[in-house]
Amino acid sequence: MRLRYDVIVVGGGHAGVEAAAASARLGAATVLVTPDLTRIAQMSCNPAIGGVAKGTLAREVGAMGGVMARAADASRIHFRMLNRSKGPAVWGPRAQCDRVRYVVAVRRILDGLSGLDLFQEMVTGLLVDRERRGVPGRVHGVETRGGVTFEGKKVVVTAGTFLRGRLHVGGSAAQGAGRAGEEPSVSFAEALEGHGLRVARFKTGTPPRIDGRTVDYARCRRQDRDEGSDAFRFCSYAREPLLAQLPCWITWTDDGLKEIVTRNLARSALYGGEISGRGPRYCPSIEDKVVRFPDAPRHQVFLEPEGLDTTELYVNGLSTSLPAEVQLEFLRSIPGLEEAKITKPGYAVEYDYFPPHQLRHTLEVRDVPGLYFAGQINGTTGYEEAAGQGVVAGANAALAAQGRASLVVERDQGYMGVLVDDLVTKGVDEPYRLFTSRAEFRLLLRQDNTAGRLGVTAREIGLLTEQQEGVLAERLADESRALTWFRETALPPRTANPVLERAGSAPISEPKRARELLRRPGVGAGALLEAGGRERAPSFGEDVLATVEVDAKYEGYVRREAERAAKLRAQAAFSIPEDAPYCDFVTLSWEAREKLTRVRPASLAQAGRIPGLSPADLQNLVMEVRKLKAEDATVERQPG
Amino acid sequence: MRKRSSLGDTIVAQATPPGLGAVAVLRLSGPHAIEIAGRLTRRNPAEWADRASRLCALTRPGSDETLDHALVAVYRAPASYTGEDVVEVSTHGGYETPAVALEACVDLGARRARPGEFTQRAYLNGKLDLTQAEAVAGLVAAKAAKGRTVALHQLERGLGERVAALRERLVELSALLVQHIDFPEEDDAPVALGTIASRGRDLAREMALLLATAPAGELLREGALAVLAGRPNSGKSSLFNGLLGVERAIVAGEAGTTRDAVEAVVGIDGFPFRLVDTAGLRNGAGSIEQLGIEVARRYLEEADVVLYCRESGTAPDDEAEGAFVASLSAPVVFVRTKWDLAQAGEAPRADEVAVSVRTGEGLDLLQEALRRLVFRGVVENRNDVPVVTTQRQARDLEAAMGEVEAFCSALEKGVPPEAASAHLKSAETSLEEVLGVVADEDVLDRVFRDFCIGK
Repeated sequence: MRLRYDVIVVGGGHAGVEAAAASARLGAATVLVTPDLTRIAQMSCNPAIGGVAKGTLAREVGAMGGVMARAADASRIHFRMLNRSKGPAVWGPRAQCDRVRYVVAVRRILDGLSGLDLFQEMVTGLLVDRERRGVPGRVHGVETRGGVTFEGKKVVVTAGTFLRGRLHVGGSAAQGAGRAGEEPSVSFAEALEGHGLRVARFKTGTPPRIDGRTVDYARCRRQDRDEGSDAFRFCSYAREPLLAQLPCWITWTDDGLKEIVTRNLARSALYGGEISGRGPRYCPSIEDKVVRFPDAPRHQVFLEPEGLDTTELYVNGLSTSLPAEVQLEFLRSIPGLEEAKITKPGYAVEYDYFPPHQLRHTLEVRDVPGLYFAGQINGTTGYEEAAGQGVVAGANAALAAQGRASLVVERDQGYMGVLVDDLVTKGVDEPYRLFTSRAEFRLLLRQDNTAGRLGVTAREIGLLTEQQEGVLAERLADESRALTWFRETALPPRTANPVLERAGSAPISEPKRARELLRRPGVGAGALLEAGGRERAPSFGEDVLATVEVDAKYEGYVRREAERAAKLRAQAAFSIPEDAPYCDFVTLSWEAREKLTRVRPASLAQAGRIPGLSPADLQNLVMEVRKLKAEDATVERQPG
Repeated sequence: MRKRSSLGDTIVAQATPPGLGAVAVLRLSGPHAIEIAGRLTRRNPAEWADRASRLCALTRPGSDETLDHALVAVYRAPASYTGEDVVEVSTHGGYETPAVALEACVDLGARRARPGEFTQRAYLNGKLDLTQAEAVAGLVAAKAAKGRTVALHQLERGLGERVAALRERLVELSALLVQHIDFPEEDDAPVALGTIASRGRDLAREMALLLATAPAGELLREGALAVLAGRPNSGKSSLFNGLLGVERAIVAGEAGTTRDAVEAVVGIDGFPFRLVDTAGLRNGAGSIEQLGIEVARRYLEEADVVLYCRESGTAPDDEAEGAFVASLSAPVVFVRTKWDLAQAGEAPRADEVAVSVRTGEGLDLLQEALRRLVFRGVVENRNDVPVVTTQRQARDLEAAMGEVEAFCSALEKGVPPEAASAHLKSAETSLEEVLGVVADEDVLDRVFRDFCIGK
């Protein structure tokens, strides 16, 4: 069987789903091919979306019309705004989701998109034109194990941990698998490698899951959801109904666990030397924690509900590759888990990834035109990171198929931009995860302002549905109405002073503008609106108020970042030809030439972010590129 | 086609080497060069013809104090060295005048240029081709490399290590903040913001200590100004040549041979001295010579050390000598010159060094005395206190210190850490400019090395 599409997406995880949805929303004929359609958008690790920086990214995906924010809202059973005690600039929305309902919600959203087909098959081969006279061949489709051929202009590969995946549970031989109980993708890995792409290995791990009925909750600390915020929401408005809400639970390991882990270290796949790939530092296994921080008296363990229809709990903080019986032994040393029963043992998985410096900012593979990579295949970790890349790769595949200009999110425009630029510029030496500290414009990249940062761009290129465009317009209008209200409304002492008093701020004797009052520490936008007569003022959502607060309270700091961002953009305007002959740039150090050849930066700004390039190298690079451009111009002018 | 620079700001630097000369040239380049010159001269250079020089009084911004009388010329884009609007201001030479004029330009909105920046702009605006630009860069680099004494080199490496250590501590502060911001669910209580602010204060104090070494560092870089003084024919020029090891000053027995100052750089035990031979100090000289004596007085005011020469066999004129020495602010080394011609039984005073350039006797003692007097503090700490040796380093360090202080004040005033941390980022950039490295993975490295974080 032979089927024809504009864009073929291989893989149905968080990256694949977003890539397929973005491509379809742009109007490209799109198919998503994956071995098991009942297992799309699986949360292979903990059942939660968001967090600091990651939650902002999930909202960015939402603002681009993506799937993740809405599916998380539809399946949320516990929602918190992290960092609420700090400034709104670093708030991080986070949802615990019902695993099963999440998948159902994703499927519902995909089924609602016209122009998107789903197909259940294992992709085994990539169809590429033959290279001619040094011009690399273009991708024109994929083949499946069952003999189906998909013809298409662009192929987006989102293979997750499935490429030559190997599962490790200590004490037993490693087995080929992409995820517990699912077979790995070996021939496709070989097919990709056959195109001359460099490949490397990473590992990641999961903790055991336990039966919630066997937990003594009296010995754990209860953590309830945050009443104030309750959803990711597309641009703050499209509401999903609230399901029943569950608490999370916290407990701590003690010396008992330390002793058990230490005694069994040799049986760990990680420490027994079976795993060679590098794992993430920020998600250390319990073996890592015990070995690297021997003085830590205890480690925090979160018990997260897996869903409304199951009693299973995800034991966050205890990822491990020790044998199942050791897992049971150390679990039972933890207060509250003395009687615990394991439902699924933890395991580590090792997989292929393709070092991402082989990609362009569109996530197209540089040496295989028409082929795009997104998600863990690029060396990242995390659902949100995968989803963000999915949007970028899917949108660009569709835009390219339609012959339109590509979409590049800048570093000052979104975590999505930070993520992609870090990948292609700096590469990865451990699974990549977002942190606010990776962004040089933390105050600009907030969870409250994704509509203005990315929603508008998404609308311009046609990435939003009609309904989403309406919501976006409403959200932007609200924001400007709110900013105007605070700028123009003067509050008399009688109204303002009770608010100021509650914030421990000095009272006023003359009427003052609401924005002036909002600049004072502790004075909140919501309280001022209410005091100013909310019935006369429009009622604004939490994120609109956060935008107003940041605008007033951190004006100087935000301006400072905006100025730095403008400088960076000026540098980005100095473009560098993709085929620049770096080896011939004799004024540059060897090391610089080697690094530039590997990364092939598109602009001076990007070159400046390559680790280890000195200011002198950059200066010489400018000179060499200018010379090159001048030569090219001369050659073009000459006839023949 | 007229090319406009996309580089935005206006830069300023002294184009002539620092030091004593008749004239020093400051160069301004960029979109605001002419405007800044207008405010500096209180004239309207925008209306002047291209390349015509005019004599103008330079005025300190915000006051009516005249800084100097200078020749000012305007070179409009693109017909200028950099291809941008350029103004050249020729002030009187020396150290003080060009420095205050430059300061005034900075106050008026110009930015101090980085090394090679004029040439870079010239290249970017198509005024130089690559080979020319390389040649300029090569020249600058070669001079710097040869000009370095061993001591200086050691000290600069020490500075690098010290600045790297300061940067390391900045990174640590950032890591402590990241722990607040990125990991709100960890139960190990992060370091309190108050503690972070007080660590920041400690860091700023250390930066201040390092900055305090800048005067000594400048001495090392520019050389200590050692001025030879004494009556006419007291052997100053011979001593000058003796210390220099070459015949540079004209030596003749007739009083008043040296009418202008003669300057040369000499390394004494690895420490740089700018040795200046002046016209003999005496009254009643002819007018040209009088001018030389004026020059001598100006040098004497700026001297780091004065070598007061008295010929062997002459009687000390204690009164006149005493008055002269009292008029100096720099330390004085008394030299009994031409010691080979000393009368039998003549002995130097206890505070005098007896030297014969002809036999070489006493030269080593004099060198030792000079070095000790000027570089004592630096010599003693040579291996453990690195010093700031250039204005660029001082400027970047000062900027970093200012940002760290602003960070602490912000935290103390209750500005949330995510906003306050912008100051740390700027401070880090400034220190990195001292070091010439850029790396931002370091904060996260630090976080994961020092804290057990992650579920």
